[in-house]
Order: sequence, then C-alpha cells, then structure tokens
Amino acid sequence: MAKAEFTLLDGAMGTMLQAAGLPVGMTPEVWNITRPEQVTAIHRQYVEAGSRVLYANTFGANRLKAAGCGYSVSQLAAAGIRAARAADRGEGVRVALDIGPLGQLLEPLGSLSFEEAYELFKEMVLAGRDAGADLIVLETMSDLAEVRAALLAAKENSALPVWATMTFEASGRSFLGTTVSSMALTLTGLGADALGFNCSLGPAELLPLAEELRRWTDLPLILKPNAGLPDPATGAYTLTPEAFAGALSRAADLGVTILGGCCGTGPAYIRALGAALEGRSPGPRPRADRQGLCSAVRTAELGRTLVVGERINPTGKKRFQQALREGDMDYILRQAVEQQEAGADILDINVGLPGLDEAALMARVVRAVQSVCELPLQIDSSDPAAVEAGLRACSGRAIVNSVNGDEESLKALLPLCKKYGAAVVGLCLDKKGVPQNARERLAIARRILAAAEAAGIPRQDVFIDCLTLTVSAQPEQAAETLKALETVHRELGLRTVLGVSNISYGLPAREQVTVSFLTQALYAGLDLPIVNPNQKPVLDAVVSYRLLSGQDPGAGAYIARFAGADSAPSPRPAAGGMDLAEAVARGLRAETAALTERALETMAPLEVINTLLIPALDRVGEGYERQELFLPQLINAANAACEGFERVKARLARQGEESVSKGRILLATVQGDIHDIGKNIVRVVLENYGYTVLDLGRDVAPEEVARTAVREEIPLVGLSALMTTTVPSMEKTIRALRQSGWTGKVMVGGAVLTEDYARQIGADYYARDAKQSADIARLVLG
Amino acid sequence: MEAKLTGIDRNEALLYLGCRGGAPGPDTEAELALCEALVLRTARPRALWRRFRLLPDGSLEGAAFCPAGEDIRAHLSGCREAVLMAATLGAEIDALIRRTQVTGPGRALVLDACASAAIENVCDHFCAGLARELAPLYLTERFSPGYGDFPLESQRDFFRLLDLQRRLGVSLTPGNFMLPQKSVTALLGLADTPRPRRPGSCALCERFETCAFRKEGGHCGKG
Repeated sequence: MAKAEFTLLDGAMGTMLQAAGLPVGMTPEVWNITRPEQVTAIHRQYVEAGSRVLYANTFGANRLKAAGCGYSVSQLAAAGIRAARAADRGEGVRVALDIGPLGQLLEPLGSLSFEEAYELFKEMVLAGRDAGADLIVLETMSDLAEVRAALLAAKENSALPVWATMTFEASGRSFLGTTVSSMALTLTGLGADALGFNCSLGPAELLPLAEELRRWTDLPLILKPNAGLPDPATGAYTLTPEAFAGALSRAADLGVTILGGCCGTGPAYIRALGAALEGRSPGPRPRADRQGLCSAVRTAELGRTLVVGERINPTGKKRFQQALREGDMDYILRQAVEQQEAGADILDINVGLPGLDEAALMARVVRAVQSVCELPLQIDSSDPAAVEAGLRACSGRAIVNSVNGDEESLKALLPLCKKYGAAVVGLCLDKKGVPQNARERLAIARRILAAAEAAGIPRQDVFIDCLTLTVSAQPEQAAETLKALETVHRELGLRTVLGVSNISYGLPAREQVTVSFLTQALYAGLDLPIVNPNQKPVLDAVVSYRLLSGQDPGAGAYIARFAGADSAPSPRPAAGGMDLAEAVARGLRAETAALTERALETMAPLEVINTLLIPALDRVGEGYERQELFLPQLINAANAACEGFERVKARLARQGEESVSKGRILLATVQGDIHDIGKNIVRVVLENYGYTVLDLGRDVAPEEVARTAVREEIPLVGLSALMTTTVPSMEKTIRALRQSGWTGKVMVGGAVLTEDYARQIGADYYARDAKQSADIARLVLG
Repeated sequence: MEAKLTGIDRNEALLYLGCRGGAPGPDTEAELALCEALVLRTARPRALWRRFRLLPDGSLEGAAFCPAGEDIRAHLSGCREAVLMAATLGAEIDALIRRTQVTGPGRALVLDACASAAIENVCDHFCAGLARELAPLYLTERFSPGYGDFPLESQRDFFRLLDLQRRLGVSLTPGNFMLPQKSVTALLGLADTPRPRRPGSCALCERFETCAFRKEGGHCGKG
C-alpha cells in the first residue's frame, strides 16, 4: 500500500468494460443501469488493487454522446455514482463524477458555443452532485475553452472539489494547441483544486510536462498516463504493469501526489504502482516561479516588458465607433491581427460606446478576437457587467482594466477578478480625481493593494497605473507620473501599467514626445506600456529597452527586428505613375489606399466608389471570366479595393455621414456544413461592390435564416453548401424561407451545385463563383 | 511510423484553386511559394493506422464494421486484410486560414489549397511507409468515406475503431465532417498479389466534390 501522502486513482474503465462483454458501439454508461453489478465488480478490482479514488463510469454521460441510448443524463450519472459507491467495503473510497469531452468541438474550430457547452456540463454536474459524488474530475480535455466551460459549470453548480487533467502531446501542446502554461494559469485562476495530465502518452513521456507544470502552479499535481504508446497495427498498449509503475513512480520526486492509469492499464497496474510508491515520499514542491497572462495558445510571461496594444478602443475614433455600431467585426479583427503582427504581447479590448449594450458587445468582440488572434487580452471597462461578460468569454487568463481607489469600484470588480483568476489594473485616482503629486498616488495604490489582497487576489496580480496626464496641459505632471511609477515599483514592489500615448495629446510630432516619455517610464520601472504597437518607433523603443535591460540575451530579438534596417529602402508606397485601376488589379493594398486618399482630395466619396473603385473591380472580374486571371488574383484585387473602400468609409465617418450601401444581403453556410471559406470570399467581393452583408456564419439552421430574412427585410439571401450531403439542408432552408412569407430572392453556390440543381431545389439564381454573385446582386438590388 | 510533410505539389494546389491550365504568372507563383512555406511551417502532421482481418462477409474482424456499398466491396476484392488509416495537419492550419481570412481573403484561399495538397502529401508518405512495412503483402489505393457509394456515415466507424478524437485530436461534426478540416480517413486493402488499379470514374475520384472540370461539365481525362 502506498503512503497516505499519495492518492492512488484507478486505471482504465472502457477496456475493462469491453473485456467484461460490453457490446461494441454500445454507450458504456448504459451498463450503470442495466448491468450495475458488472460495473461495481470492475471498480471493486481497483479498490482491491489499492485505488482510493474511483472515477465513476460517467465519462461520456453528456446529452450529446448519450443521445439515443434510452436513458437521461441524470439517470446515467446517478447510476454511475451508485455503482462506484457500491465497490467501497469500508475502505473509505472517494467517488468522482467523471466528465470527459463532449465529443463536439467548441467555436471557433467547431460550432458548439461556450454557453451550450456550459449547459451540457452543468446538467452532468447537477446529476453527479445530487447523486452524492465526492468530487468532480474533468479529464482527457484538449481544448482550454471546453475545460473552462466544464470547470465553471462545476464550480458554479456544486461545492465539490474539482480536479482537471488535459491530454497533451510530447511537444508540450494539446491537440488544439493549448500550452502547459496556459492550462496552469487559466485553471488555477478559475479555482481548480488539482491539475495534471491523463491519457496522451506513457508515464516517461509525461514527466517532462509535469516538470513544466509545477513551475506555473502550486496546486496538487495529477498524472494518469497510458500504459505506454499503442502498437500501431493493433492498438494494444505496450508497457507491463511493472514498467509502467517504475516509470510513473519517478513522478513522486517531482511532488506529484495523485497518480493512476489511463488507456491500457488495469488493476495489476494500480497494484504495481502502489508497490512502487511504497516507502517513497513526494519530493519537495518549491513555489511556482513563473507567472503570466495567457490565451489558450500563447502565454505572455511576466517579468519582462510586455506591450499592451491600445487600438481596440472607440474613444475618439469615428471609424471604430461606426464599426461597433454596425457590428462590423472584420474591421475590429483586422485591428487585432495587425497589432499582433506588429509585436503586441497583450491586447486591450474596449468597446464602451454610449447607446450600445457594452456587456453583450464585450463578449462578442472577445470571442471574435480570440478566433483570429493568439494574444492574451486585457478587458477594458469599469462596468461590472461588461467586465464579467468579457472574462467569461475569454479563453485564458486576462487582465481587468481597471479598478480605482473608490470603494464602489473595488467592491464591484475585485470579486470578479478573483472568481475568474484575472490580474487587475488599479488606477491611482478616486472620487476626488487624480492626485497632483506622487505621494498621494502611492497612497491610493496602497489602498487598492490592500483591498485586492483582502479579496483574495495575490499581490503579484495587482498592476498599478500611475496615470499619464497630457504634458501640454500640465507640464509639471510628466515628472510626477514618473516619480509615482518609480515609487510604486520600489516601495510596493508592484508591477506597473501606463497608457503612454496620452502624454503627447495636442502636440505636433506626437510620436517624438510619446517615445521619449515611454523610454523614461520604462527606466522608472514600467512593466506593461499601453501603446499603439503599429507605430514603429514605439515598438523600436521597447525592443531597444529590452536589449539594454538584459531581457534579450544574445540580442536575438533586437537583431531580428533591425537586421538590414540600415540599408532598407523607404517603406512608403511608391504610387508614382500607377493609377487606381492598376493598383487594384495587382492587389496592391497600400498603393490602393494611397491613391484613394489622393482621389478623395478632389472627388466626392461616392464618386470615388462609382467611377474609380467599382470599375476597377469590374475590369478584374472580366479578366477572371476570360480566364486571364486566377481566383486568388480576383480575391486579392477585391481585398486591395477593400483598402480603398476603408478610406472612403473613414472619410464619410469623419464627416458624420452614414456609410454608403447599395442594399443588404444575407449570407449563410447551411446547417450541417462547416466549410465557410467560399462564403467568406463571396462576402468580401459583395462588400467591395458596396453591398452591406449580414453574415450568419456557418452551420446555420433553416429557421434562423428565414427569421433573420423576415425581420431584417432582406431582399437577397445567399446560401452556400460545399458537400453533396448538405445540399438537402440548403433545400430545406429555401423551403423555410418561402414558407415564412418572405418575398426576396435566393442565390445559391458551392462546389457541388450546378445550374440545374439550383433550380431543382428552388433557388432563383445559381452563382458559379464570387464574381457572379456580385452580378446577381446588381441584377436584384441595382 | 511518423507522419511527415515533405512538400506541397504546386500543380495540385493550382488545381484546387480552379486553375484551368495556363501559366499562373509571377505574382501567383510568388504567392504560392509564400503560402507553401507558411503551411509547411504551421502544420503539425499526425497519422495512425490499424489493421483488421477481412471476413468472408466483407466485415472487419472484431470491429463490428462491415463497409457498405458496391465500390468498397470492389476495392477490397481479393484482399485478406483491411487497413484503416487517418491523418491530419492539426488545428493550427485551421487557425491560420481563419486568421488570414481577416487580413487577406485571397491568401486564405491559396493557403487552403496548399493545405489540401499538403494533407495529400502526408497521406502519400504515410501509405508508402505502410506499404514498405507490410511487404511482402500489397497495399491498395486509399478509399475514403464519401467516395462513390461508400457512405460518409462510415466516418463514425473510423472514429470508433481508431479512437481519433483521443489519439489524433480530430473530431466529427453531426454532419460527419472532420475537424480540423485538413484531415483524411481511408480504408486500404491488403492482398497477397498486387491489385490492379481499377478503371476510375468521376464518382470514385477523391476530388469529386470539388473538381473544377466536372463543375464546368468537363472531365480531367484521367479516369
């Protein structure tokens, strides 16, 4: 028997059930009800082998996987807990509700929403809790978003301890790209009670991952590996019980205390593991020495200068405000990707605009940004509902920006930061405003720190913002800000955040002042500058500072950025001699933008669209139809034209005019189909011809298409289906549209469709490609 | 046996792009070269396989799986065993294409085509390796659910028998599509003597769904 310092788990359940005669293809959890004695007998073998925590046979007892098996989730889960409990003959065994992946992928890769996943897990949690489970284990997860949904469902609907293990590859990532640090930071923050790995690999391969994990979390560690790697031809696992136990017992030295087996292991493996742990004690666990913020796939480690990109913010930006009002996600997403490519480490997300539902918009933007951008996020709002919506939607560990010294602000936001494990920015101001000297700002920082610690937030997660005031208005305040920053850094030992750009407001050559102030602030101890990363000199200053402050050993990052800079030609687009039509045709975005700006100096915005941009696109379209151009060239041209339209839109937004639209078109990829690249290309082309596109996305139910078409009074609906198997779904959607009383036209497209087929299923038009969809739009909408 | 991605067949990528003969021109060539490099750098190819004895009724021994349809029957005729294989480029490629749709939809399309050619490359290497490993037996071509009359629903059996979600990180949607999208499952026969390549028809071609020739009412001339 292993010492009480270790907790022995059980081994595989599925293979044991099959060995006991479970028919292939049957939902394993059904046996909890029809053959409970068989299930208990397997559990009993594990108890006799030394297991003291039993994973009930509930791994797949969710509504998706168990659909059609004849029993409800609560019946399967309750019977599973009972069958495990019955294996305890006074050994004091703990029974865990076992929760595995749902079997369908969450957005953005799949189409299951976070809320749907949460509800499915919640149903299991309630069933397990009511059936008397002692704890909840989440296992074999490979998507951080999914394990977050499960953990939140467990924590919000029960008081049981929750252990979480994920499945990783030897590369140190899960199949969906989650890193060890992301898993540790996110799940520790959300209040998991133990963390580790299961399945994946054999014990020897999991040890290096456990070694990484313990540097990012202080939680108890779990390992439940497979019996080595499977034989490819037969799928059988290769390690003997003794070899498995020998390799896994080495995890004890790393301080791993909760151990068991996964695929290919049985009672003999657990018995051998108990024997191998006999006489051993867990190795010491030094405190986790690494901290950071993360998305599911990328971690920004604290301890170095981290650039927070400030561009996703409508304040003072007419074009951005318009995008938010019109729900133009693409505009916002481009800002996100651009900042990532420019070198931001974290993105600030601010969507506060009077008249809009900030909480709903925050969740939507956070999700959309995370679908295309890998960076950790900073949720920028002082509205508790918006902050919570953002934190809930955010896969990873975020920063909340911000609280201030006010009691009210601290009370409303700190508990949210604690619940979601977020770091928090504290602004050195309160009801009385911004103190004019460093001492008073320090006093507020102290107050914020005390409140945060009282709320259970560790001091390393409290970042202080000493506030930048505009130097042209208050010339003495720049020095005061730097002094406050230096004092917070030195006296409180806290990390600091600072929105830098504000310093130069109202001055000419702003960049000059901004960069100079940034450099001084970095030397005064600024850790997280909030800046516009698209301004090259700003990032240049950070990269140089990292080199000079020893954060860039070997100068690798510095050299990568500046190698060849001395001889590089001027980056300004050389538009000389080229006209707008040529720039569009060649897909040159910068040139198209510059030439559009030039045209706008002398022409009205609408005139630029109708006499320059659209004809340019038309010429490309004709070339494509004559097969002189390829599809990517057509798309690149459309995309270049998009830059031109952007300039026109920006001009219109500045003039306070509504954006131009030639009419609205609804697009959707039909239910059951997940291929949306074709539909997205049609959208780009249509938008560039001046139409407003309402894009419902992929895998869209017929009723939703019909409902939206009616509600929004859409004159033209475009449907896409790539595969033969989803064309019937397209037909169903057309029928739903016709039956709803809607009177518009339907165009369809997709690889397997033909003109005849399109007629047959009741469409008005068949669009062979994106170009033709624009022709149809012109026919219907003008 | 490791899955590997060694290169991307540019002509194949062009075919996926609907390129109907003619030279692509220097701009397109440069774009292709860039996208190929991106795909090669981003993909995390993985593959696995498992072999089963074929029973006289056409089912796989111990698998509760009897591949349905005339075409798969014909494909496996004269074979003593069947090999199930699956391969994927991983979720990172989907993320790359998704991100690129925001910044440059044209590039996203080229990336998508390059990734389609890339997964073929992974499958070709993997099956060539299998053929070497399984010699002196002979391996047939790949045959995937959805080709000919081999129902797409058979994906369920592939997923069950190969445990693809757990072991390869590939999921199946309710409509039987695989995610990540650049994933392939296939059945291959294993025989004592080389199996003759069966005369092809459009319906049996793996490019059936997306074939640009067929859409135009034409034919590639290979079948």
